[in-house]
Amino acid sequence: MTDLAIHTTQLPEERRRSLTGDLRTIAVNEIWRYRELLYQLTLRDIRIRYKQAVMGFGWAVFMPGLIVLAGTLVRFAMAYMGGSKVELSEIAGMAVKAIPWSFFVGAIGFATASLTGNLQLVSKIYFPREVLPLSATLAQCFDTTIGSITLAIVLPFLGVHLGFGLLWVPLLALLILMFTAATALFISCANLFFRDVKYIVQVLLTFGIFFTPVFFEPRMFGHLGGRIMLLNPLAPLLEGLRLSIVHGHNLVTPLATTAANGTSFPTWSPWYLVYSAVWAVVGLIASALIFHRAEAVFAEYV
Amino acid sequence: MTSPSIEFDGVWKKFQRGELHDSLRDLIPAMARRMIGRAPRKEELSRGEFWAVRDVSFSVKPGEALGIIGPNGAGKSTILKLLTQILTPTRGRCMIHGRAGALIEVSAGFHPDLTGRENVFLQGAIMGMRSREIARRFDEIVDFAEIEQFIDTPVKRYSSGMNARLGFAIAAHIDPDVLVIDEVLAVGDLRFQTKAFDRIKEMCTSGIPVAIVSHQLERIASLCTHALLLDRGSVVRTGTPVECIETYLRNEWTSDPAGGGTLATTIESIEMVRSGGPARSGESARFILRGSVDSSREGPRSCAIRVREMNTGKSLFAISTRECGVELPENGRFDVEIELQFNVPPGVIAVETAVWDRATHRDLARGPSVTLQLVEGIKFAGSVHMQPRMRLVAQARASGKGALADALDPRG
Repeated sequence: MTDLAIHTTQLPEERRRSLTGDLRTIAVNEIWRYRELLYQLTLRDIRIRYKQAVMGFGWAVFMPGLIVLAGTLVRFAMAYMGGSKVELSEIAGMAVKAIPWSFFVGAIGFATASLTGNLQLVSKIYFPREVLPLSATLAQCFDTTIGSITLAIVLPFLGVHLGFGLLWVPLLALLILMFTAATALFISCANLFFRDVKYIVQVLLTFGIFFTPVFFEPRMFGHLGGRIMLLNPLAPLLEGLRLSIVHGHNLVTPLATTAANGTSFPTWSPWYLVYSAVWAVVGLIASALIFHRAEAVFAEYV
Repeated sequence: MTSPSIEFDGVWKKFQRGELHDSLRDLIPAMARRMIGRAPRKEELSRGEFWAVRDVSFSVKPGEALGIIGPNGAGKSTILKLLTQILTPTRGRCMIHGRAGALIEVSAGFHPDLTGRENVFLQGAIMGMRSREIARRFDEIVDFAEIEQFIDTPVKRYSSGMNARLGFAIAAHIDPDVLVIDEVLAVGDLRFQTKAFDRIKEMCTSGIPVAIVSHQLERIASLCTHALLLDRGSVVRTGTPVECIETYLRNEWTSDPAGGGTLATTIESIEMVRSGGPARSGESARFILRGSVDSSREGPRSCAIRVREMNTGKSLFAISTRECGVELPENGRFDVEIELQFNVPPGVIAVETAVWDRATHRDLARGPSVTLQLVEGIKFAGSVHMQPRMRLVAQARASGKGALADALDPRG
């Protein structure tokens, strides 16, 4: 035996002492040691999603495509009422934001049921339970990758010239992934204890698109409205993607716009990004800790 | 590097009857306390709670195999769940040093839509195997499960036997440092069960620490070096598998009160006449049965003995004094000498006494019993020695192909 893994069940009192100790346990003993399992479960989730599915990979493009279509419809209606024109770059912006939004919706949707849907496993076999919501999230990455590749092909036709702004994409993608993983951990854990959580999640995901700037841009709501919209931790990340990809904007530079009454107000500040990053990092740590501490009683409550 | 071992030190586990939480009003504050780690650790039970495991301690070192036996609800599976970290103890500590291989719910991780091949990798990973390792042993696993032709078929089309065989095959190829087994000895058909059992035996005798829970007592007896008898969460006794099985079965089979007092015949005692040295398989042993007859009461004037194989609880042989041609006295005390020839394999044997109904052989009252251990005597295989007589009636000459045929040919 090459690696003699020692897993120890200690007194709960002893284990509940240090936060950093817990975090290390999660990262090293649980996630890293069981990375193969994370990979296999991700593979399983991807496989079963495409087995016996007529549309196959089409689904990966279908969902964001539908969002863009719906958004375009809304924008045309708004433009008609307001007497302005819909710019091609606005549609491109929606397309850019539709991909991460459908990633978030898909990942949370699958992660919510990831613990309760694997009852047999949770109550019978030991492995770190974190891998279940995490693999649901990672499996969604596969769809998103296909969607992104399609988007990269389509964008030039929408008049977008891909430039240096793209350098921001990896950071933004990482933050979205972290925030999604944090939400997935928390919600899957909550759903194990209270089965009605999944209904709440369903409602939130259905209406979330109206509270997240996917169809819209925060500046459309004016100064205060835009700010409120950007309080949603996902909003600055989606806006950041739009600005950097569609407009090639360097996110360090603030942006301002002029309102109809002539006053100028800021629409983008790098601090929005910091705000979201704090949410992603702190959220992930907090939800990992909550999950880890609740994990001990999963088998009894499931 | 610590040598692989299992340790269970003063473990208590509390469970709750019924629904786990009655209302959010109770639950949310309790959860909040638990999250911040300040939950008051209750040492005593509150309403609806019970100890599923009560102060259980044991350890299993390399070369040892511990059998855990006991009636349903004794806490056997809870102990294995505590060992495999599915549950955490309320008090005490339990640990496994080394990579634990668990033969528990061997196909729990299967996804019905995935093929056998995909599931082997998935289940293997759930059990803590590396992909490389699984790939290396893949052919062995498929061979063992005997499902070569179906390995690329979705598992949902498997028969339940195929499913279980594949699950067992994966679990049996983990190469663990420590092995934990729960009631998986009954997998597939008879032939596969034998194969599975041999495989488990092989793993047990390879020197790694093993803990087994099973109701198949004869398997415990043949696999384990020592045993633990549980009842309602507490340890009743520890010792050799035979000792524990004996105590367990004595409690199980002779739980009825030894009637008497209302029947004509009362059995007072039975004891074995010591002849020096243990009883041997194939040899005879003598017993003295003492009792009395009260002519003023109803009931048969006869008593019976029943020989029971303790590992399985199976009754091997039963006969009454009357059937043996012994008439008990009309009234008063009696001693009966009984000689039995134990034409059965080595094991733990009990000689029980009873007063039974002559027609139905149903026990009216049970008397005392005596237990003895049969050690290996005459060599034979099977469950009964049939006192064979063999003699050579024909023999081939040293050479010549048709010699034996010639010798046997009646016309020759």
